[in-house]
Amino acid sequence: MEHPPRRHQVIDLDDLSTEEIEEILATTESMKEVLSREIKQVPALRGRNVVNMFFEDSTRTRISFELAARALSANIVNFTARGSSVEKGESLIDTVRTLQSLGADIVVIRHSQSGAPYLVARHFQGAVINAGDGRHAHPTQALLDLFTIRERLGQVRDLRVVIVGDIVHSRVARSNIWGLTRMGAHVTLCAPPTLLGPSQHWLATWPNLTISHSLDEAIKGADVVMALRLQKERMQAGLLPSLREYTRAYGITPERLAQIGEGTLIMHPGPMNEGVEISPEAATAPNSVIEAQVTNGVAVRMALLYRLAG
Amino acid sequence: MNYLIKNGSIIDPARRVATVGDVLIVDGKVEQVFDMAEMGSEPGPIPEGTEVINARGCVVAPGFTDLHTQLGEPGEEHRETIASGTLAAAQGGFTTVCAMPGTTPALDRAGIAHQVRAIAQRDGRVHVELIGAITLRREGKALSEMIELAEAGCIAFSDDGRSVADPALMRNALAYAGALGLPVMVHCEDSSLGAGWAMHEGAVSTRLGLPGAPAAAEELMIARDIALAEDTGAHIHICQVSTAGGVARIRAAKARGTRVTAEVSPHHLTMTDSWVLGSLAPRPAPPEPPAAKGKRARRGVAPELGLPSWLDPTLLPPYDSSTRVSPPLRTGRDVEALIAGLNDGTIDAIATGHSPQSRVEKECEYGLAAPGISGLETALGLVLTLVHRGEMDLVNTVARLTEGPAQVLGRSPATLRPGSQADVVIFDPDQAWTVDAARFASRGKNTPLHAQQLRGQIMLTMVGGAVAFRRGDFGRGGPGGRHTSQLSGILGGE
Repeated sequence: MEHPPRRHQVIDLDDLSTEEIEEILATTESMKEVLSREIKQVPALRGRNVVNMFFEDSTRTRISFELAARALSANIVNFTARGSSVEKGESLIDTVRTLQSLGADIVVIRHSQSGAPYLVARHFQGAVINAGDGRHAHPTQALLDLFTIRERLGQVRDLRVVIVGDIVHSRVARSNIWGLTRMGAHVTLCAPPTLLGPSQHWLATWPNLTISHSLDEAIKGADVVMALRLQKERMQAGLLPSLREYTRAYGITPERLAQIGEGTLIMHPGPMNEGVEISPEAATAPNSVIEAQVTNGVAVRMALLYRLAG
Repeated sequence: MNYLIKNGSIIDPARRVATVGDVLIVDGKVEQVFDMAEMGSEPGPIPEGTEVINARGCVVAPGFTDLHTQLGEPGEEHRETIASGTLAAAQGGFTTVCAMPGTTPALDRAGIAHQVRAIAQRDGRVHVELIGAITLRREGKALSEMIELAEAGCIAFSDDGRSVADPALMRNALAYAGALGLPVMVHCEDSSLGAGWAMHEGAVSTRLGLPGAPAAAEELMIARDIALAEDTGAHIHICQVSTAGGVARIRAAKARGTRVTAEVSPHHLTMTDSWVLGSLAPRPAPPEPPAAKGKRARRGVAPELGLPSWLDPTLLPPYDSSTRVSPPLRTGRDVEALIAGLNDGTIDAIATGHSPQSRVEKECEYGLAAPGISGLETALGLVLTLVHRGEMDLVNTVARLTEGPAQVLGRSPATLRPGSQADVVIFDPDQAWTVDAARFASRGKNTPLHAQQLRGQIMLTMVGGAVAFRRGDFGRGGPGGRHTSQLSGILGGE
């Protein structure tokens, strides 16, 4: 029942202070400078073993962590297992103990079950980074979003950020709510009620959120509009009448792109369903920072690996 | 062996007795009760070789009955056996347990009932009653042979942890069981609402990103089953009610005269969904000592005994699978409604819902872990937290563990009336102890209460006049315990 010290794990942003987030963003800046060099590698983590433990497919996040670890000269190996560990007959705890015995120093875990990284952290002596767990948290995504917003708009405090889409199922939304509100932004959640759940369930934890069911209302005066991926299963589960209606009401369409100012950032954590939650015009608009998000992701992950290895 | 239990605080709800006195047990039966209420009552002749048990400072009550116990046999012996489960029951003060049919195979035909009865006769430390399945294999598709099950000794029917989804089949089950005069015990959950849930749907599930079961899923099924009970005139018993809405529907149905009874578990009475947050939850402030709230302002608390017990969810890590249970832990509002329901008689009984699980089933991701709490050995300590906080009355608490379950089963309640079978429990309501799951008699070490401090501990359990459990050297000589006057203060005015 002993909890590992906090500094050995980044599972969510809920336990990071403003100062700690500032520190991570500052380190990210240095890491970004490293990545701009011709030789994109420093010896900071030479001889350290990083294991990418991915129980859910995610080529993008896995490659991002892989490049981050290599840029710091760490040894990185991938452990990929599809489906739940239980179905395979191998328990998560057993896997973690095995990696421990093999000499892993840092474990990066992606898992379809919310809370799985806490279980890993209880049974692993080294550092743990959450690369996304169920609907719960995706702290590296939220940190790279904070970094990107600050890089483009100079600050996060007092900005008006709209997160639109499948919020109830989104770990990206939850971690961004922690990070953005902690850094002083005003956050509006915008979704159809079936993809959000009762407002009071959100306001109980985050009383300063604004809840909206109308994107046209929500985007008025917004500094950042962040669209989330809509999984097609949501329609099959009866949560939405049609993708067509969803796009009309909640998509970043060319019309809405024209409505929001050119100074408003358009963000998306990827992978996109172009034509559903975001139109190709919006994804490639000058105020879209979707590609910068991907680039900054490597630097943020370097910063975290460096911080936890220290 | 004969026993004289001396100087205990006798609480016998069936006789409306709560007083200090002695109980003489001869040949497995209660021979005589001498209490202060009956002035001038003198001890009669005490037989030779009677062991005197000093129960000063302790409550002496009829043994508890648990309406809802999973005993694991046959087929689930890695979770529990009748030997381990009934020893856990004895340690928890229960002298009768009702075995749920969720075994492998399910208890859905007479042959299995005979098998379980034989094991219970061989290994059981307490009385074991059998509950038969409503439907074959608990699948909700075809009725089990209820007449044969009743002949084999089943005292009720239940599909243990599952609702019968098909209302037509449920109506038939109620009509059929109704003719036998036996209650149908239902776990109420509309499984199409919140399918695949891991916890209660609310602020905590939203924060943690766990799929939730809405309170409406329970309320809906309680409403349906009450309607079907009214339609058939059968007796329906709602297992493990957990929602405020459910309590309200049961209360309204009782007011209409529906034959509905209900039970609640100790964990649903004392814990909320914030336990799933574990260390992420706000750490609860210790309650003020009752003395600070005015002299004797809070019934059931003796000020000189110090702080009431309190529970601290932050001892657990986040997403600890020991908090996963069905129905799930709900909100503070639900807990208040459950306590109110128990106090006003809407809820008839406290039942543990004892659901032992092995480590393999629990030591995994929260969403994949088996639901269930091993509850027999912490039941009394948990419900006494409510007594110590002044939210429940000690006498009513004992009644909900003794008289209430008997009424649900349509039996005369366990009592200490002379001539009745000596099923007796002795507990110290103020003994503080720390829960150590490793020391459970149950094979199921799955409890969210590990390392919590509880106040109130079973000291001795007697089944049919024989000691089934004794804590250490309890009651053997010495002054033992505290002064009776403190406890008699609690009972004063009863």
